[in-house]
Amino acid sequence: MLDTYREVVTPEGVSLHLPAAGPVPRALAWAIDLAIRLAILMLLGSVLALLGAAGQGLYLILLFLVFWAYPILFEALWNGQTPGKKALSLRVVNGNGAPVGWLPAITRNLLRTVDMLPFGYALGLLACLADPHGRRLGDMVAGTLVLHEISERQTRAAPINAVLAPSLVLRPAEQRAVVAFGERAPLLSGARQEELADLAAPLTGARGQAGVLRLFGMANWLLGRR
Amino acid sequence: MRQEQFVARYQREWQAFEHWLETRGDARRALAERNGGELGDEDIPARYRRLCQQLALARRRGYSPVVTARLQALMQRGHHLLYRTPPPRWRRAAEFLLADFPRLVRSEAACMWAAAALFVAPLVSMFVLLQFFPELIHGLMSPQEIAALEKMYDPASGRHELGRESGTDWGMFGYYIMNNISIGLRTFASGLLAGIGTILVLILNGVSIGATFGHLQQIGYGDPLWRFVAGHAPFELTAIVLAGGAGLRLGYNLVAPGRRTRLDALVAGGIKGARLCLGIAFMLLVAAFIEAFWSSTQSIPASIKFSVSGVLWTLVLLWLWRGGRHRRGDADAP
Repeated sequence: MLDTYREVVTPEGVSLHLPAAGPVPRALAWAIDLAIRLAILMLLGSVLALLGAAGQGLYLILLFLVFWAYPILFEALWNGQTPGKKALSLRVVNGNGAPVGWLPAITRNLLRTVDMLPFGYALGLLACLADPHGRRLGDMVAGTLVLHEISERQTRAAPINAVLAPSLVLRPAEQRAVVAFGERAPLLSGARQEELADLAAPLTGARGQAGVLRLFGMANWLLGRR
Repeated sequence: MRQEQFVARYQREWQAFEHWLETRGDARRALAERNGGELGDEDIPARYRRLCQQLALARRRGYSPVVTARLQALMQRGHHLLYRTPPPRWRRAAEFLLADFPRLVRSEAACMWAAAALFVAPLVSMFVLLQFFPELIHGLMSPQEIAALEKMYDPASGRHELGRESGTDWGMFGYYIMNNISIGLRTFASGLLAGIGTILVLILNGVSIGATFGHLQQIGYGDPLWRFVAGHAPFELTAIVLAGGAGLRLGYNLVAPGRRTRLDALVAGGIKGARLCLGIAFMLLVAAFIEAFWSSTQSIPASIKFSVSGVLWTLVLLWLWRGGRHRRGDADAP
């Protein structure tokens, strides 16, 4: 299966598959976060304007907090997601796949000041595009990654049919291809199934619908259905 | 073993694990409710390792994604739960401020001294130059800025506060927090530009502060100025120097990574710098507090202000010099 993810070996010896997110979804998530922050500040500003001068001081403190502390708190406490990231199904994790801790969250958000140079996150965008895992400078220094939340793909088992042993010895990659046909072909149209099964005509020895049925049978045999 | 037999054999285990993840996965809910499922909480690490083994087998034998994707998803959910961030302990924060932060600072002594030199040298030279060549101020600030500056520190004015044009204590507190901490963090973060950014920021800050002080001293407004500055200078100036030192370290790690890759060196420098920034942000918070609530008052006589300032300078320097040295067996190991 062709996919872009970063493999990280866990202490148990298996690999985590971490699908890193590129600059575009991250930029959109940032825009949503910015909108939320501006809304909060406008709301607070209008409330605090009623309090006069003391309210103004409080407003500036809250401005600072909302500007700096909002992403840090959300990423550290809410499992690496701010509301903007949650909306786009993104998540911040450590480079080794572990959930992001306080210090990496603080580091990567502090270094936004550098990523924002010279204007509009230009340096961050360049870093994202250059890095194979889509990390900006803050991510590189903090050792974090922003991932897509993988939703489990809909896989269905092949329809139970007759079982047919393949006439030739198949290599592992070829076995996987036949099994994949058996599992994904039910989602395709009949004409497409026949078109694909015709590619395996030397194996099945038949064409058209008969070839499809024989290929299904071979998939079942490879899966071990009896 | 074929895929179907594999699935048939282990299906129940995977379902039990998934059930546990769903019912006991949320920590708060798990604390509140009793565990009613078939898997006890203490069994989970062993079950997780077994699941990882089965995933490795499934991959090795080339089973289809129906099995491997499902096991991978289960494994990642389990990993996420088992390797969760521990909750913060507040005593640890106090230990960090009092002991770990000074040790960090001392471990980067070379960078800190360099940052101090880059900051203090322009400051002092600008100050001295302006005593002898007062017209130099016009090369640095516009007439409006100079007028505003002089108005803030005019000893003859009947105003109540020093060093600010208007605004309540709380208002200025908020402004100083926003201003100072942002500047401090930017000083550090601009170290990422191979340290050039930090060097420039330090020099420019030194020049501008030296120019301000020198001009005000030269025209005779020295008394209000020193009374205003004395209170928060120990924290603010030191914090700027420390931020500069952290930024220099970051830039140096980028330029001369030694025997590590550039990225590794950058990450190490960044983590160290981030920890330093925590302490620096705290120092700037204290400086903003003092600046807003103490420095501006005219009613406190100069002798008290200067003696308090002296005490604070001593405390800050003692803290940085001796903090964290009580651990046995090391003087200032990082």
